[in-house]
Amino acid sequence: MSTLKLDGVVAGYGQGDILRGVSLEVEAGSVMCVIGPNGAGKSTILRAVSGLLRPRAGSIAVDGQPIASLKPREVLSRGIVHVPQERSLFPQMTVWENVLLGAHVLGDRARARRRIEEVAERFPILRERRNAHAGSLSGGEQKTVELARALMLDPKLIMLDEPSMGLDPKARQRVFTTIRGLNETGLTVLLVEQNARAGLEIADEGAVMDGGVVKLRARGRELLDDPRVGALYLGAPITPREAAPEPTR
Amino acid sequence: MHLFIQACILGLLAGGVYALMASGLTLAFGVMRVINVAQGAMIVLGAFLSYTLFTKAHIDPFVSVVLLTPLMFLVGVALQLVFIRPLRADEREELSLLVTWALALGIEGLLSVLYKTNYRSTITSYADKSWRVLGYHLSEVRVFAFGMSVVILTLLYLLLTRTEFGRTVRATVQNPVSARLLGVNVDKVSALGFGISVATATAAGAVFGMVTPFFPGSHYDLISRLLSIIVLGGLGSLGGAIIAALFMGMAEAVFAAEISPTWSSFTFFIVLIAILLLRPQGLFGTNERGAL
Repeated sequence: MSTLKLDGVVAGYGQGDILRGVSLEVEAGSVMCVIGPNGAGKSTILRAVSGLLRPRAGSIAVDGQPIASLKPREVLSRGIVHVPQERSLFPQMTVWENVLLGAHVLGDRARARRRIEEVAERFPILRERRNAHAGSLSGGEQKTVELARALMLDPKLIMLDEPSMGLDPKARQRVFTTIRGLNETGLTVLLVEQNARAGLEIADEGAVMDGGVVKLRARGRELLDDPRVGALYLGAPITPREAAPEPTR
Repeated sequence: MHLFIQACILGLLAGGVYALMASGLTLAFGVMRVINVAQGAMIVLGAFLSYTLFTKAHIDPFVSVVLLTPLMFLVGVALQLVFIRPLRADEREELSLLVTWALALGIEGLLSVLYKTNYRSTITSYADKSWRVLGYHLSEVRVFAFGMSVVILTLLYLLLTRTEFGRTVRATVQNPVSARLLGVNVDKVSALGFGISVATATAAGAVFGMVTPFFPGSHYDLISRLLSIIVLGGLGSLGGAIIAALFMGMAEAVFAAEISPTWSSFTFFIVLIAILLLRPQGLFGTNERGAL
């Protein structure tokens, strides 16, 4: 059964369309990784689902319920959390304040405080750096706090936009391990990733976007070996060397 | 040296009121990217409303602050809904200059019709009284005005740091897209933020009318000083605006006492230009968006 289903979604900014009829399904409890070249519309999918961008045509449904016309707050209330590509913490607020805001829509401070203690069990950094300004954390630490904040509402689907961007290899690996770990607890993950190999390796399913539509869809590992992915994504087939694991320090 | 210290005391007391005036301006910029050049006119409006309550109903200006600020908070919310919200987000910073300038001229025109263009002053029974401490004069009105500014700014600080609403304001200042994704109603925060901005201007106006003669066109001078303060403090930084206001108030008073009162108002711009040459983002501004 699919948690999220997009059918023929058209969306864009100003007069132009970025998404030109995107259809995509994310199965409950799975990791779906969307890859594609810059400008393919990967991030726009997440913006359309989270309510930041209203689709011009097509439908978006969560557990069969349409959400395309909802505001971000209402989408959030349906258990869909979007962690954007750019750093999304509030740099002049403490780590604890940042994470507490993840439960803002609950409107229940006591419940939020109970929930943050649960989340902090999984992410010890929340207690270790509780009073530090979020802007003073390293890139990897910031991404960890963003993931922790996204869990405050105990969501059913988490959408991550290029979580590895700007991180060193070690921090990148930690982030992907965390994502896989979250998925193992039953959380459905929609991942948009420029680092195709790393994203597809942890994904149950993958989709390749180009020109605002989904061009290929298959199991993650299968896409890694599919020469058509290289043609669409890099302009050439992925060679074994390119598919080799990155060295970690 | 005595004159210098006396000028510093006077400047510090004036700076406290400048801080209250500038707090709303920097708040509006931080939350909405709105450069509210009508803030000076709002202060003058507050001065006239307080003056009217004092002359017609014998209500002390410090009491009128309690009556007027909730009312003007609502007026501020209404102004934001009517004039600011319809502006397109990507053009808001530029267009807000024009819209709020029109608002300032409208307020000036209305006040000119109602009160004419004569100078007024809210002269209370304690207007000329002062305390003498260690050989220095402390004007009662200015001390009360400073005290009231400290109380209001402390309340504002507590509102921003200790309440859920305050956290949503700070979140909106620092990253509006992220705030929306967390379910913050940015439109509501913006309207309430503008209401607070107008309310602080009204409170500042009540005390401004007690320490400075004013007329409907007084806002031109005020807004140029306030813009200097918030640029110096770092746009969107409340703490920066407060420190910059105290510093500017003292610099102005010392310049007036030691060099010439004629050029004292020019001090704001000399200090501003000198500091911006060394630190373009202002004293406490960051290169990132907002620091409230």
